[in-house]
Amino acid sequence: MAAARFDELIHAPTRLAIVALLATSEWAEFKFIRDSVGLSDSALSKQLTTLERAGYLDIRKDFVGKRPRTSARLSKAGRAAFERHVAALQEVLAGSGASLLPQ
Amino acid sequence: MSEQVRPDEAAQALAQIRQQQQRVIDLAMLPTWYWWIVAALVVGLSATVDAARQRPVVIALAAVAFALAIAGLTIRVVLGAWRRAQWRNQLLGSRGVLLILGFVWLVVGTTLGIAFALEAVGVRQSATLASLVGAAVMIAGGPVLTRILRRLMLDNQARGR
Repeated sequence: MAAARFDELIHAPTRLAIVALLATSEWAEFKFIRDSVGLSDSALSKQLTTLERAGYLDIRKDFVGKRPRTSARLSKAGRAAFERHVAALQEVLAGSGASLLPQ
Repeated sequence: MSEQVRPDEAAQALAQIRQQQQRVIDLAMLPTWYWWIVAALVVGLSATVDAARQRPVVIALAAVAFALAIAGLTIRVVLGAWRRAQWRNQLLGSRGVLLILGFVWLVVGTTLGIAFALEAVGVRQSATLASLVGAAVMIAGGPVLTRILRRLMLDNQARGR
């Protein structure tokens, strides 16, 4: 298990949802992330930019036929930060005597 | 900062993480109708083999149509999901691959074993009858396999694979 370290940037609910989604994926399409976390296009773009600037995300833009497609994935730093954050959350729970693994 | 997070908030955050991860893993799961269609195609091919034993061209054409239909269906289902989100291969792991291969061998082995046994005792519709059993195994076992793989992927994700 990764060393526990709470990450304030990741902990914000919308960013936590985005990062959790990407932690299970290699790449995820913008529309899939948007529909999964229930954000508007502009709100999601803003959150992705924030995470990208922190070095937690890689953004890829390509074309499917003539249609542009945007995808995102967690960078190595982002994945490590997420694992540390999950460990920190589990420590909080363990300290309270409760247990809930993100299975 | 983590000291400022209450246990109920931590539990809520972990539950949210789990929910989002399930979304990606659910994308990787084959729908139940997939097993029904594959089973119907197998029975259709077997019935053609039984009905056209003296006409190898018909059997060859049916086999090609079967292969194209299975490939087209599988590509459509898997790639459709894959375009939306590419789940991490590590989540399936070697155990998941072995489970899939084991299921394929179970279906193929059951079908061929029964077909040869029926053929040996002179049953005329041996391929069709055997494929009906194979189809039943597929329809009953496919969704079970899907549920086991889902559980396995969730467990692997929780273990940080």
